[in-house]
Amino acid sequence: MTNISLETLKEWSKLGHRNSFGESIIHLAREREDVVVVNADITTTARLVNFKNEFPDRIFNVGIAEQNLIGFSAGLAREGLMPFAVTVAAFVPMRCAEQMRMMLGYMNLNGRVVGIESGCRFGPLGNTHFAMDDIAVTRTIPNFTVISPSDPHQIYKTVFAVAEHQGPVHIRLTGAPGFPLLYPDDFDFEIGKAIEYRPGKDVAIITTGSVLSEGIRAAEILEKKGISTRVIDMHTLKPLDLNMLDSVFAENSLVVTVEEHSIIGGLGSAVASYKAGFANSPKQVMCSLGDSFKKIGNYAFHMKNAGLVAEDIAEKVLQNVD
Amino acid sequence: MEKNLLVEEIKDKTERMRRDAIEMGFSAGSEGAHFGPALSCMDMVATLFFGVMNYDPDNPEMPERDRFVLSKGHACLAYYAALIEAGYIPREMIPQFKGNNSILCGHPSKNVQYGIEVSSGSLGNGFPVACGMAKAAKFKGEAHQVYCIVGDGECNEGIIWEAALNAAKNKLDNLIVLVDINNFQLSGTTSEVMPINLDALWRAAGWEVLHIEDGNNVEEVLQILNEVKESDIEKPHVILTKTVKGKGISYMENNLKFHATSINEEQYRQAIADLDKAEAERKEQ
Ligand SMILES: Cc1ncc(C[n+]2csc(CCOP(=O)(O)OP(=O)(O)O)c2C)c(N)n1
Repeated sequence: MTNISLETLKEWSKLGHRNSFGESIIHLAREREDVVVVNADITTTARLVNFKNEFPDRIFNVGIAEQNLIGFSAGLAREGLMPFAVTVAAFVPMRCAEQMRMMLGYMNLNGRVVGIESGCRFGPLGNTHFAMDDIAVTRTIPNFTVISPSDPHQIYKTVFAVAEHQGPVHIRLTGAPGFPLLYPDDFDFEIGKAIEYRPGKDVAIITTGSVLSEGIRAAEILEKKGISTRVIDMHTLKPLDLNMLDSVFAENSLVVTVEEHSIIGGLGSAVASYKAGFANSPKQVMCSLGDSFKKIGNYAFHMKNAGLVAEDIAEKVLQNVD
Repeated sequence: MEKNLLVEEIKDKTERMRRDAIEMGFSAGSEGAHFGPALSCMDMVATLFFGVMNYDPDNPEMPERDRFVLSKGHACLAYYAALIEAGYIPREMIPQFKGNNSILCGHPSKNVQYGIEVSSGSLGNGFPVACGMAKAAKFKGEAHQVYCIVGDGECNEGIIWEAALNAAKNKLDNLIVLVDINNFQLSGTTSEVMPINLDALWRAAGWEVLHIEDGNNVEEVLQILNEVKESDIEKPHVILTKTVKGKGISYMENNLKFHATSINEEQYRQAIADLDKAEAERKEQ
């Protein structure tokens, strides 16, 4: 894995997660001949055209057929290839959940399933195009690893880390073009090992995906009000980093989970169910997309309505700290 | 309500619908719109609404109304334009397309008051619902028809064929599907992305298959739809309808760039100019 220049990372940040992934996978394919890309009539949308130009024989378009996207990829994986199956997160895993369970999970194959535009970024396109449930689906499939990278650099690191991993992986991509570059310098990335983005003694904000940037801003707001706030980047949703959670439960007095996902079955649920085993653990506040279909509106409208912007997260903390 | 108007009247309405669609798409600003997919099926939607279907905007739940399901839901601009023209949606709502809290969502979201029968936009899923609605009509002994528009790319989805077999088994002769064959899907032409012999497949599934050579010609669409209405073949009917993606806007025709995108001021003006020109030419004839 070669290091990516700061200039390139800034460019990826500007262009968004689709380009960040579409370019990262080219870097991986240059190093590994077993890497192939499968997509469901989404080559252009998923910014896979550069990959197609460089590796025309290593990209397959199965048409608008998400179940077959997974079945076909499973066959490729069964024969030793490393398929990255890509489509819109609204359709994968939901449209092909059973194929992911039986063809990838059950057989423990090295399929990598990538959902672009997860959460509610497709705002005005409406609920058919939101993925508020994808973490919930794949976390319940045994053998699956679930990763939601927080910035362009982490997308790059994820793609490479996943290539070394045994077993199926779901990569969930969030954030709009212009999503901030949060890791400008080289950093250690390990699947299942959360990153303490900043230390803090009072509150711990745990986030997953691109909403980390709001968590960081919330911590800055709280710091100004004298509340020492720790920020944890829980990029891997399964397996959860239990050591990190142990330290949070021991050291912080309030846990705040922040995710662009349903309140059911995502990061907040995962943390809460682990926390349930502790007799004396801190209170938890969950910031999420709740449990409802949404009215339509742009991305900012949704994030604001759900209380997923820094000011709202900070406000929620203030209401809950002693 | 208006019914079986002359072809010229349907064409008048189709022209206004194209204008309204452009207005809606332009007013969405940088959010853009699926222009090409709506323009290809505009004439068949118009013909259904203003030449074929029975409905009453003042009584949107009227049991005997014909049902319409836009399975290729991303073409909602055509649907909304028809609902505006039919009187379900006030024209004043045009600037709300894709706006915050708007009902004019980027994909149809069920809203019976405004004439939106079924939510769609996740491809493949509208069609089986239309099949269920047709079965329900038979079950309840109701005489109305169910019309459904499916994309040619959408026919890649396995559920289309699961539903097609089931509809044939159930002899849903009250179900009429138009496949909008514009030869493009999202990432290329249909022959590049997924070669498919639609005529053979629909026949093999047990459907009565008809063809429309120019699906952007109201007259031909109306004639075939009337024939189907008269048909006493006890099978569901599918009409394979050749169209042009982006029909009516010079720079959008057969141009995949306008599958889904925003348009700028200049493109907007060009689109209006194209529509003005077409209208003037038609009125001259
Ligand atoms: C299940 C599903 N997969 C993918 C998409 C993304 N998508 C939107 S439009 C489109 C192409 C549709 O092609 P076609 O049915 O031929 O309709 P056209 O746009 O050509 O009118 C795709 C793949 C979707 N909306 N739903």
